[in-house]
Amino acid sequence: MENNSEDLGIEPRIYEVGYLLSPSISLEEMPVIYSKLKDLVVSLGGEIISDEMPKMITLAYTMYKVTQNVRNKFDTAYFGWVKFGMSADKIGELKKKLDIDSNFIRFLILKTVKENTIATKRFIHRDSRRKMPILKKEGENTASLPIDKEEIDKEIEAMVAI
Amino acid sequence: MKQDYFSANNIKYIDYKDIEILKKFLNPSGKIMNHKRTGVTAKNQRQLAGAIKNARFLGLLPFVAK
Repeated sequence: MENNSEDLGIEPRIYEVGYLLSPSISLEEMPVIYSKLKDLVVSLGGEIISDEMPKMITLAYTMYKVTQNVRNKFDTAYFGWVKFGMSADKIGELKKKLDIDSNFIRFLILKTVKENTIATKRFIHRDSRRKMPILKKEGENTASLPIDKEEIDKEIEAMVAI
Repeated sequence: MKQDYFSANNIKYIDYKDIEILKKFLNPSGKIMNHKRTGVTAKNQRQLAGAIKNARFLGLLPFVAK
């Protein structure tokens, strides 16, 4: 707790909110709710780093949420996230406000890092790159040698000329 | 997977949204694999387990796969 109080006010912490929105929300309403959440973060002194529009996903399991004494069942939901910097004392307020909002099925507030953490795309390329040179090496060695000699000759000539 | 997958691919922070990566570390019934099977370092295994649990909470991964 002592460390927390020292951190306050010095530098905003980086948080991420992942959330599930009710699938009953229409596509027209979606951008409104999405921008409301961002406004809420900004109004609490947050600085948005990155975010993603909520997308319809099929949930891995059925979720239930009781709102106004009605038990609602969800098999699909809109999943979105926002990454932002915010001081640690304001994050509790954000949580309280999201708790009240009935559009949210669930949300998760996490501490994270400023850098982009999604690695999927980068990583497919890497794998394919790694495999390619190994296959080509045998054929390339014979072809690349004469080119190297010419280049070396040119370089030597350039050196001599100077 | 004998080498640590995350340091081999230069992943410093394991994100709960990267479900394609996380799925590699689940067995067919949806349980988190043992670190002996995954070959991931202890530090990354803890981060991995946390990321999978977060993804489960948000319905991205199953608690139990049928």
